[in-house]
Amino acid sequence: MNYRNRFKSFIKKPQNIILVSLAFILMYLTVIPMITILLDTFTVHQSELMRVKGSQIGDFTLYHWTKVLFSSASRKIFYEPFLNTLIVSFGTCIIAILLGGFVAWLVTRTNLKYKGIISTLFIFPYIMPSWTLAMFWYNFFKNPLVGGAPGIFTALTGIETANWFAYGPFPIIVVLGMHYAPFAYILIGGILRNMDANLEEAAQLLKAGRVKILRKITIPIVLPAMLSTFLLVFSSAMSAFAVPAFLGTPVRYQVLTTQMFRTLNGLNPGYGYIMALLMILIGVLILGINQRIIGKRKSFTTITGKSSNIALINLRAFRLPVSIFLLISIILICIVPLITFAIESFIMEPGNYSLSNFTTLFWVGSGSPDIANGEPGILRNISILRGLWNSVKLSVLVAFIAGSVGILSGYAIVKKKNTKLSALVNNLAFFPYLMPSMAFGAIYLSMFAVRRGFIPPLYGTFALLVLVGSVKYLPFASRASVGAMHQLSNEIEEAGTIQGIGWWKRMLRIIIPIQKSSFISGYLLPFISCMRELSLFILLVTPSSRILTTMLFQYNEKGWSQYANAINLLIVFFVVISNYVINKVTGASIDKGIGGN
Amino acid sequence: MPQIRLNNITKRFGKAIAVDDLTIEIGDGEFVTLLGPSGCGKTTTLRMIAGLETPTDGDIYIDDVCVFSSEKGIDISPDKRNVGFLFQNYALWPHMTVYKNVSFGLENMKWDKNRIKERVFELLAMLRIEEYSERYPSELSGGQQQRVAIARTLSTGPKILFMDEPLSNLDAKLRMEMRTELKRLHLETGSTFVYVTHDQLEAMTLSTKICLLKEGLLQQYEPPLDIYRYPANYFVADFVGSPNINIIEMEGEQINLDEIKLTNNQLSLLYTPNSSSITIPKGKKLLLGVRPEDIEICDEGTIEAAIYSTLPSGMETIVKLDIAGLLVTCVVFGGVDFPIGSRVKIAFNAKNYVLFDRESERNIASGTLS
Ligand SMILES: Nc1ncnc2c1ncn2[C@@H]1O[C@H](COP(=O)(O)OP(=O)(O)O)[C@@H](O)[C@H]1O
Ligand SMILES: [Mg+2]
Repeated sequence: MNYRNRFKSFIKKPQNIILVSLAFILMYLTVIPMITILLDTFTVHQSELMRVKGSQIGDFTLYHWTKVLFSSASRKIFYEPFLNTLIVSFGTCIIAILLGGFVAWLVTRTNLKYKGIISTLFIFPYIMPSWTLAMFWYNFFKNPLVGGAPGIFTALTGIETANWFAYGPFPIIVVLGMHYAPFAYILIGGILRNMDANLEEAAQLLKAGRVKILRKITIPIVLPAMLSTFLLVFSSAMSAFAVPAFLGTPVRYQVLTTQMFRTLNGLNPGYGYIMALLMILIGVLILGINQRIIGKRKSFTTITGKSSNIALINLRAFRLPVSIFLLISIILICIVPLITFAIESFIMEPGNYSLSNFTTLFWVGSGSPDIANGEPGILRNISILRGLWNSVKLSVLVAFIAGSVGILSGYAIVKKKNTKLSALVNNLAFFPYLMPSMAFGAIYLSMFAVRRGFIPPLYGTFALLVLVGSVKYLPFASRASVGAMHQLSNEIEEAGTIQGIGWWKRMLRIIIPIQKSSFISGYLLPFISCMRELSLFILLVTPSSRILTTMLFQYNEKGWSQYANAINLLIVFFVVISNYVINKVTGASIDKGIGGN
Repeated sequence: MPQIRLNNITKRFGKAIAVDDLTIEIGDGEFVTLLGPSGCGKTTTLRMIAGLETPTDGDIYIDDVCVFSSEKGIDISPDKRNVGFLFQNYALWPHMTVYKNVSFGLENMKWDKNRIKERVFELLAMLRIEEYSERYPSELSGGQQQRVAIARTLSTGPKILFMDEPLSNLDAKLRMEMRTELKRLHLETGSTFVYVTHDQLEAMTLSTKICLLKEGLLQQYEPPLDIYRYPANYFVADFVGSPNINIIEMEGEQINLDEIKLTNNQLSLLYTPNSSSITIPKGKKLLLGVRPEDIEICDEGTIEAAIYSTLPSGMETIVKLDIAGLLVTCVVFGGVDFPIGSRVKIAFNAKNYVLFDRESERNIASGTLS
């Protein structure tokens, strides 16, 4: 009887219903697929019948694991790409954190000029698709050694770029570093803004020098948060696909994601699944380490809030030079790539930059049979316009689902904080973040190819793209929402409850309006990420569900770089404009989803 | 020899003025309180003297050494000004133990290990927090954190100590206790204390001098009792003292060389200024300031009043009186309970009633009433 009453009152509270349903749904959409895949890697398939002697389809086997990890081919299949992934991810982290951290410090702690425009523009490389800079690098520095036409740099200066400079780990690290620098900037900026400047001033008054203050006070205090920034950037860099695909492939530089793409597209999806699992394992380890760091005894959360009266460091003579230099560099990184895309998309024969070689064919031409199989220019190309429509539809749907579920989850997680259920849902909602996109796509591909419970077979459908996108981007929305709910005191909702206002009305009329901009940020980030996502969808699209990013990739693989450049411009244009408009109209910004404030 | 001198110090944040043309001198060994409502520029002033904030204009001297001058382009950094600073939020380093927090400054002065240890434990003992030396700040209560912050600030033995609302985060009982300790500390260290608070009682009880600010402007800079007795203007009179001073709107008329007739609808009083150098034109609008303890309830009184409310607190009783529609507050020593509505007689027998010009709100005289 007692139990029944307890259950009754439990189920009466909306936050409990939300938590329980989310726990089930997210388990089903994240944990179960992983287990399925794990089991699959121990199973004999049709294609291995010959290799695993005396077996039948469905038998238990260690074949895949030994092949990937302990065979003569393991080095090529797994260990080399794995090592490359580690190198690339570490390098990326270092560049992103140094660059992002430095700019964050300048913006929050010094009297830098042009702060507004610098902090707006500096986010750009993160909003733009990651391969934008990669394609730029490729266009600009490509050399004829690998084949094809020389890049703009060579055309302008006559200097041939070295292979190590044009392709492989170096440019991958630089480009990914710049792509994730804004991410680090947002996180570290948040830390610095929250760190009490009095802590440093107290040390200064006790006669500690600048260097000592940095070494003994500032760094130790921000270190845990920096480390967690490091880990987040690391796991993002690890799952990056497009950049290594663009810049690594010409010299056969493979990382785990590109290797996974090859195996999943080829005959041995089992290898790919193993790689996916190992990458997820690394992701989970990272999350574990992260939580360890945050939950320490001498927890570094500020003891008392309120850190007013921050005196900005006077850069004195450096103020103007540093400000101008930073502004120009950022403009170079943001604008110049776009200009080169524009140029590249207007030239007929790649590598020839003379005026007579310019054409509008790839934009508005009706297509000629001798070029690219007679594809019309992208603005007249039905299939590209359909791709654009698909991309927009997909992004809007994903943003709507991820954002709305995010709001609910944030609400329930904060409402029931310090309970096991809340912690479980919080972790489940963050889990997709750690899954490398490609691996996630691969898992969904295999999992939902057949009917699963109440879900019909989804392979090749648009719904599958929406599902995978919504789950993958839920972490952004739930983080934004958890952050917003933490700032909202419980009394605000209780005041409504006491007056007998129903739950829906409380949500729609009280809670959501108050934290409107944070919640909209929870929609914005999935939208933008989805618009520019490639690796998550690349395994899942079929000709009927193609989206812009996957088309770009295909055009590029076929060597029709003018189309690829034009499409990229289209995507960048679309993403930047929507970000700008949403930001101006609603005050939402992508910072909030990432965890800055 | 003055220890700290501010000359025409101004601080602007963008267009807003936080501190406006402030000139004060703080003597050696004084306990000066910067008092004023929130946002009046107290913290900013303190931070400017300590060197954490750069004034827009003016000069600052410490021990006759110019530490800041906008004209001469001097700006000595905080670590060279030999001052201690106790932050409002304590600013304890969360990643260091109590011991480490306190020893940090001594290490910077390159003391040797044993001497540091001795000094740290001496301080911890003085502040009664020895047993917490190995704890982290987050494992201490507010009051204990406060003591650690004091120990850290005192460690290097600064001759000047700045404190920014150090008691505002403590509960009422602890605050009382810490007040006593701060006063004791002031005597023991013999240092100059510059103390910021928005709590007038704290300022009254602790300081040798109060510097009262309003919107960045200096209102009055005098010992507490002078501020209490001779407030420079209506704002000061109203800000200090609890319960608040009674301000009664009156019209004045000089009827004699040293007598002024004050009238309004309820009262008609004769005011004798203590120094007879003022003349009041007929019909001049004035404000009469009457401290609650300067209204006496006695049978010999000439003015009739009704009891409006009483608030006995044991040691004293705050009585609100209704004089034909005019409400005034008075304080009676001891726990006296008057029935509400009962009629009493009151008298103005004290030596000190202040008169303000209603227009400028400035103090124009203090004197007696009859
Ligand atoms: N770093 C700052 N930037 C801009 N305005 C500030 C800054 N610090 C203080 N102010 C402004 O200066 C005024 C005085 O502030 P403060 O000295 O902190 O007041 P108090 O300590 O008396 O409460 C306030 O109006 C405050 O908003
Ligand atoms: Mg203050």
